[in-house]
Amino acid sequence: MDRVITTRDLRKNFRTRKGSVEAVRGVSIDVGRGEIFGFLGPNGAGKTTTLRMLTTLLPIDSGEAKVAGFDVARQPEQVRRRIGYVSQLGGADEMATGWENLVLQGRLYGEDLDTVRRRAHELAAVLDLTDFADRKVLTYSGGQRRRLDVALGVIHDPEVLFLDEPTTGLDPHNRANLWDHIRALRDRGTTVFLTTHYLEEADVLSGRLMIMDHGVIVAEGTPRELKRKVAGDSVLIGLHDEHLADRATLLLRDNPHVREISAEPGGLRLYVEDGSLALPELLRVLDREALGLKSIRLSEPTLDDVFLRQTGRSLRDATAEAAA
Amino acid sequence: MKTLREVGLFFQRNATQQLRNPVWMFVGLSAPVLYLTLFTPLLKHFSGADATTGQTLDVFLPGILALLAFTSGSAQGFGTIFELRSGVIERFRVTPASRLAILAGPLLSGMAFLFLFSAIAVAVAVAFGFHLHWVGLLVLAVLLGLFMVTMGAFSVATALITKEISGFAAVINGLNLPVLLLAGVLLPIALGPSWLRALAHVDPLYYVVEGSRALTAGTLTDDHVWQAFAVTIPLCAVVVFWATSVFRKAVA
Repeated sequence: MDRVITTRDLRKNFRTRKGSVEAVRGVSIDVGRGEIFGFLGPNGAGKTTTLRMLTTLLPIDSGEAKVAGFDVARQPEQVRRRIGYVSQLGGADEMATGWENLVLQGRLYGEDLDTVRRRAHELAAVLDLTDFADRKVLTYSGGQRRRLDVALGVIHDPEVLFLDEPTTGLDPHNRANLWDHIRALRDRGTTVFLTTHYLEEADVLSGRLMIMDHGVIVAEGTPRELKRKVAGDSVLIGLHDEHLADRATLLLRDNPHVREISAEPGGLRLYVEDGSLALPELLRVLDREALGLKSIRLSEPTLDDVFLRQTGRSLRDATAEAAA
Repeated sequence: MKTLREVGLFFQRNATQQLRNPVWMFVGLSAPVLYLTLFTPLLKHFSGADATTGQTLDVFLPGILALLAFTSGSAQGFGTIFELRSGVIERFRVTPASRLAILAGPLLSGMAFLFLFSAIAVAVAVAFGFHLHWVGLLVLAVLLGLFMVTMGAFSVATALITKEISGFAAVINGLNLPVLLLAGVLLPIALGPSWLRALAHVDPLYYVVEGSRALTAGTLTDDHVWQAFAVTIPLCAVVVFWATSVFRKAVA
């Protein structure tokens, strides 16, 4: 693999009033050229901190990081020339037009005005900015603004584009639209490294991904590989009477189909080897014991199941927990 | 060469943005004119019954110019706070642009506006009888430019450290009042008791104000002139160096 990003045992501590917090605890990453690499995890997992170290914004405490062939700590200027970064905030000048933003950004990379203008028009076509690029950024919708932010990140044709939570705050339509644009950039040869706390985004967009929680990598691979590792399908059983969940657990625990069983609000969640074979059997048992089956749902594993299995909580809960 | 080009780019960006903000332009223009029209009549009374408006302005205008340099410098950090919050600074920090240029562009643009507003204040004062000494004013421009950059770099660095508006405003406002009162901006500190005159010597703005009075009077060889530069130049060097290093380090 032609690697564009490699890190070994990357660490970062923050000092707070309460003492030291280990935000990133030994992260090793390999990202190949031309892929979309997803970095999934709840808020506060350490994704942004990792990203900020890779983009030279935050000093690295220990460990090594190489981006586009240069050492991040020792050759930050070389790294900066070869990367683009779009933060959660974006950072376009609101009082300037889209064109003005793009031209200034391009010129900061040392390009002459003609080259920058040509590139800005090319990008405006790729990212659908042409219709509004002569208006002040202040007037843009969320989706328009986000696309300009991405354009600012790639105006100098970087080898790697870092996107921090690119679709946060966008509606589903604009989110899908931005995904298409990110794929278009990848097809033009840009490596994309993106963080997200959206399962679906990591699943549909990234070729490979990493799941991070509490500063460490808990899983890594293609979405398919990760889901296969969870092994089998999950069956969600809803009961009319929640108090019967314990009895149902006892009944089903030793069933040969069942690999794992856990209580869920309103019922149970089971992991089974093969859902299509297990389902008739499960129905039979529950029916025989008159446990008051309300609903049953079979689902193939999602990245949330992967997260749940690795960390013991669902990504949604972890995100809510971080927000609290 | 590279840094110079980048300073130019950031200068242009800031100047364009300020010109697009008519309210800000109006406030910037009106402040010195308000001081001159509303405060000079009061001061004239102090200067003695037979003092002309021109003589009063000769003492008062240099203080106003020093005050403009001081306030336009110390206000620089407000823009920094806004740009930190909106992610603009982070966007620039990821580019290969020189850190010094990211800092210097806005400061120099602020300086250009300081000169513009000061020139208008001088023009208004001349209309009321202020005595003009060209060479003195040119040297004064250098002194005030240096002082404005010193204050501006200090303000921006404070903004980068405090990161949010309330902390920043507390530090800057808390510092502004004693510095202004001790400098004799509106009334010469020489009118005060000896302890006040002694205390004024720890205030860099005091030297700038005294130097300004000597320069607008056209007496370039006055001791206050070299003293003002002797205080401002090293202070400027130290503060700009400190501010650049704050910029280089992590800011959230």
